[in-house]
Amino acid sequence: MKNLKLIFVLAAVIGLSACQSKVEYGDATEVETVNENFGSTDLQDIAAKMVDSMMTFPPVVVITQNNRPIIFVDKIKNKTSEHIDTESVTDTISNKLLRSGKFRFIDMTKVDTVRKQLDYQNNAGMVDPTTAIKFGRQIGAQYMLYGNLSSIVKQDGSTKDVYYKMTMRLMDLETGLIEWSDEKEIRKVKSKSFLGL
Amino acid sequence: MLKSLSMAFLLMVGLTGCAYNSVFVNYPSQIAPYKQQLSSDIPTANINELADNISGNDGLLYAQEAGRIMQVSGDFERSKTYYQQAISAYQAFDDKAIISASKIGSGASSLLLNDNAIPYRGPGYERIMVHQYQALNYLFSGDAQGALVEVRRSNELQSIEQARYQKSQKSVQNMANGTIDAQMAQLGQSAGSVTSSFLNAYSYYITGLLHELANEPNDAFIDYRKAAQITPENRYLQQDLVRLAKQLAMPQFDEFQQRWGDAVMPTAGQGQVVFIVERSFVPEKQSITVPFPINGNIQSASLATYQPQRQLTTASLIQGLGDNLEAQNIANIDALAINALKEDLPAALFRQAARIYAKYELNQSVQSGSRRANNQVDAGALVMQIFNVISEQADRRSWLTLPRQAQIAKQFIDAGDYDIRLNNSQNVKFEVKPSRTTLIWAIETGNRTRFYSIII
Repeated sequence: MKNLKLIFVLAAVIGLSACQSKVEYGDATEVETVNENFGSTDLQDIAAKMVDSMMTFPPVVVITQNNRPIIFVDKIKNKTSEHIDTESVTDTISNKLLRSGKFRFIDMTKVDTVRKQLDYQNNAGMVDPTTAIKFGRQIGAQYMLYGNLSSIVKQDGSTKDVYYKMTMRLMDLETGLIEWSDEKEIRKVKSKSFLGL
Repeated sequence: MLKSLSMAFLLMVGLTGCAYNSVFVNYPSQIAPYKQQLSSDIPTANINELADNISGNDGLLYAQEAGRIMQVSGDFERSKTYYQQAISAYQAFDDKAIISASKIGSGASSLLLNDNAIPYRGPGYERIMVHQYQALNYLFSGDAQGALVEVRRSNELQSIEQARYQKSQKSVQNMANGTIDAQMAQLGQSAGSVTSSFLNAYSYYITGLLHELANEPNDAFIDYRKAAQITPENRYLQQDLVRLAKQLAMPQFDEFQQRWGDAVMPTAGQGQVVFIVERSFVPEKQSITVPFPINGNIQSASLATYQPQRQLTTASLIQGLGDNLEAQNIANIDALAINALKEDLPAALFRQAARIYAKYELNQSVQSGSRRANNQVDAGALVMQIFNVISEQADRRSWLTLPRQAQIAKQFIDAGDYDIRLNNSQNVKFEVKPSRTTLIWAIETGNRTRFYSIII
């Protein structure tokens, strides 16, 4: 009798816990296939491929041999049919390039904030002029990194095919020449399940 | 046995009654107060009650309505969230398994109650319009790149919709080939364009316009050409095509020029004004109910239909730009709605027949059971008959806050400040800047006209 009661309680506990939603930590680099939309795995693949390709490209190796070129990153243009945070893709790429110790970066998204700060230091009368950072002392970028992310989506009955192509280029601002360019393709096919909720 | 059966049945009906909003209360009467609010002078409509339904079974429909109501009242950010919910609902439908338990479940309850028990899934043109309106939301909240994403989404859906009709309709085949046949133009003038009853020129025009504003004239040309295939008689569309053909040096330029005259190009110091005029509300579905007896049991059949309506033909007059400008019709949304219903009719009739049979069988089982119980008053059967008649409701759900008609107008004018009026509306001021575009979106609901404008 006592055992029976215990079994009941256990069953009830198991039953209840099954209904509860739970939160778990996962591996950030794990392959993610929740749906066919642009996801973390795509972002990581694109960044890894672009950085590898750029660092091993012989002319770029020559450029970075004796000095650390200064690059600014233009926003990647989103030409897909999804709302994608392309700034996050560029952030990952510039992070990796910076961490390699071969390049230096200028952050164009913060220019306005910097201008305000310098304006404050020089013109507000609050900062000791000898310590204020002067205008016009920043170093200009030599290269521009930019890109396009486009997609082709096809759908027919129960199959959906999504193809992404990311193109990136490095332009020498002085000569206008493209010093490096590469693309990364991703294809995802989704087929509907036959039985389900 | 009988008691428990009828109890279970009542319980089931009671339960489903909470879950399905339109099963017993017809849909147009739920939306009527909101349409009234939009037609009156109240600045923003109160839609909290409506928005509560988004989590329900017909969430998709309520999200579309809520998004549109917020958009008409000028709250583009909130409208964006509601439309996003509608878009996710459509995607969830797409992702449903081919044989899905929930689909079978709703199919079964539609057999006992009525078609309103089946979760709402809008016709193709409604889904495209969600993206089209979402694109305008993004544009008017200053995110041009986001607007283009929505434009591309609606392009994808447009091509799926086009493919659906391509097999049966020659005019749609021509559209894919990129030709605008003169025959089509003639048909359009005499009998009301045929293609326009299943494809929406308005959506093509808006996607084209947004492509053009984003400096992608080639993409714009493709969409304008498709719009012109659907509504060939629109003068502004013809002018757009001639101008873009000239600008892009397209091989069709000579042909277009011959048919529609030379391209009008802006002179220095001129800007462009584009008017999108949306008028009235799309009509509501009505129901026809026919009661009839089978073996002494009253059954009834209800089907949705559209009442014939007078045509909205008058072109809108825009005053205050020097010469009066006449906005021309680009699409009749009511024609699209009527056609969508026509397409749905065979399936609805089939479900109706199956339902009458199911209800009849249910009646029979209740009756014979109660007869066995010592000739008592046949209360069970009576209740069943009343239930049959009450529960039989036509499926009158459709996106009701859509406009009935869309018109466009476009002109190059000298930069400066203008004070304009549309038909009998109040005056509004806007600015035109050299070599920029001022987009003016006028929404006419009831006796009220709202204007939204942006300089791009």
